[in-house]
Amino acid sequence: MSFDVGLIIESLPMMLSGIGITLKLLVVSAVLGLLLAIVLLLMRISGKWYLNWPAQAYIYVFRGTPILVQIFIVYYGFPQFEFIRDSILWPILREPTGCAIVALSLNTGAYVSEILRGGVKGVSKGLLEAGSALGMSARQKFIYITTPIAVRLALPAYSNDVVSLLKSTALASTITIADMTGIARTIVAETYAPYEIFISMAMIYIAFTWVLQRTFGVIERYLGRYTKREA
Amino acid sequence: MTTTAPLICMQDVDKFFGDFQALKKINLKIGKGERIVVCGPSGSGKSTMIRCLNRLEEHSSGHIFIDGSELTDKVKDIDAVRREVGMVFQSFNLFPHMTIAKNLMIAQQLVRKTPKAEAREIAIRYLERVKIPEQADKFPIQLSGGQQQRVAIARALCMQPEVMLFDEPTSALDPEMINEVLDVMIDLANDGMTMIVVTHEMGFARSVADRVIFMDEGEIVEEAPPASFFDNPVHERTKAFLSQILAH
Amino acid sequence: MAQVFVASLVLMTMFGLIGAGAKLSNNLVAQKIASAYTVIFRGTPEILVILLLYFGSAIALTSLAQLFDPEVKFVDVPPFWAGTIAISLVVGSYATETFRGAFLGVSPGSIEAARALGMSPLQTFVYIRIPEMWRIALPAFGNHMLSLVKDTALISVIGLNETLFVAKQAIATTNQPFTMYIFVGLIYLAFSSVITLSVMGLERYGKRTTETAR
Repeated sequence: MSFDVGLIIESLPMMLSGIGITLKLLVVSAVLGLLLAIVLLLMRISGKWYLNWPAQAYIYVFRGTPILVQIFIVYYGFPQFEFIRDSILWPILREPTGCAIVALSLNTGAYVSEILRGGVKGVSKGLLEAGSALGMSARQKFIYITTPIAVRLALPAYSNDVVSLLKSTALASTITIADMTGIARTIVAETYAPYEIFISMAMIYIAFTWVLQRTFGVIERYLGRYTKREA
Repeated sequence: MTTTAPLICMQDVDKFFGDFQALKKINLKIGKGERIVVCGPSGSGKSTMIRCLNRLEEHSSGHIFIDGSELTDKVKDIDAVRREVGMVFQSFNLFPHMTIAKNLMIAQQLVRKTPKAEAREIAIRYLERVKIPEQADKFPIQLSGGQQQRVAIARALCMQPEVMLFDEPTSALDPEMINEVLDVMIDLANDGMTMIVVTHEMGFARSVADRVIFMDEGEIVEEAPPASFFDNPVHERTKAFLSQILAH
Repeated sequence: MAQVFVASLVLMTMFGLIGAGAKLSNNLVAQKIASAYTVIFRGTPEILVILLLYFGSAIALTSLAQLFDPEVKFVDVPPFWAGTIAISLVVGSYATETFRGAFLGVSPGSIEAARALGMSPLQTFVYIRIPEMWRIALPAFGNHMLSLVKDTALISVIGLNETLFVAKQAIATTNQPFTMYIFVGLIYLAFSSVITLSVMGLERYGKRTTETAR
């Protein structure tokens, strides 16, 4: 078989249009997921069992089941219930894009909250003791000592999670969304040229990943500027 | 010893970590302006005892009074005490993500609600006191251990405490840097600061302390002015300890 | 699902070890290839790899078969293998980094001490490096296993007769998608829990000599 470069060039515009959808899925889910993660984190470290246990249960379920299943439950499963169809959320949950964003956010929120918790645990006890000795309140210690250091510690793991989120957006294609992967599948179905199309698609994803990793690298270096001896 | 009420008073203080008793019936009175050195083998409870004084550890029974007010569970009591008691840690514990100046200013701004400009003035003043004003805008990692510890002392001083607690302040320092920190502490003592110092630096104890306290296995075994403590120790355990650490 | 898991676990470990070995070797070519492997497969969605391998290999094999026998219309690649190899390649690229990190994470002091005592490179590797390595790698390796479990669901997309696929067919008859998918979720959750507990047990076993007695 031959490698049809012409086909790639022809399909390029269509493939690139998918990028918009992929980006939208990625950014919205990342932001909503992060907000959810912060809420879950605060519940986990609150010390109150009635906040900690539900948060733990939620994280356990969402990290222990495949994201594809979660997407299917939201897209195929929710419409089974009358009360969902009647609720104000229906306009969102009726659309595949809305469902995908909901499922992706719920999923990434669980993972990111554990990542944030790892960062919080990584803050040296001694620093918090110094804060206490100086008379700082628990809230003040959390805002001025824990948070800045935890964010820096969590960043590498968080950047990995954002890359994972990017890859999960490809699953949106399974519920008919015309993101990058969705478009690729459509083209392949018509042209029977899986190599050309899927490989080009893969290259676009890899490029995307590279951009994300570089961006996070810059942020990591900025946040870590006080860890280097040279001014 | 002073004639007025003691600044710090510990009465029959016990401390348990689970089944392990770290402090056994500690009774201690410290007057304003006194310089106390606490020494003893590892695990004797010296750090635990001073950490009870600013509630970094909670005493299990007994009473602790700082400047007249009792140290209890109540947040208001704890906060009031922490304003009067400053602490310097073995591992410095400077906030790595803040400049030196910010390290000194943050508690002033948050706890005493001092406005930023005034906080910075006070910070610079104390940095000059510990002789490193030029480092104000650097980050802790850029300073040597001795410099970092001096900053830590300045940071505690910025809150203008009545008492300074030192938990093995020079134990984590390379030998050549110990003296610069001890010099600052001696300065502080000469200015009349009430100090409790847990340390192995016996030279410092001899020249600066009003009283030396020897602790072993959670108890205060012996308490005396340095001259009689070092030259005529009373208890066997004190003698054994002294012979160990003064041997080399 | 268990079959897919076991097969992919074996392959993933192989890919990971080979990749780590290549990256750690002194051979520049091997290093470059391993680097390319990790970059490509960490940056590409699993589902894309599955689709590519499935459709791509079908086309390749069909063309190949047509060389021999022009009558052949279409050669099918069993979704089991296309899917299993695909997810093993992807998770294997993460495992490469894990094994590489674990190898480098063994304290150099231990290695030096072993050599100073006269142990041969092979003995050092087997008795000192490997036990330390698997202790370091275990938590991350456990995560890779969990990824594999969840990725097996993706193979349903190419028609593999696994849990999720069967559920979809059941829904066609029962018309209760929510219930069925929740059920599928629970199956996966059970599977993940077993793995998580096993890893925790193994971690504790590995730590039994390194934690000081209290």
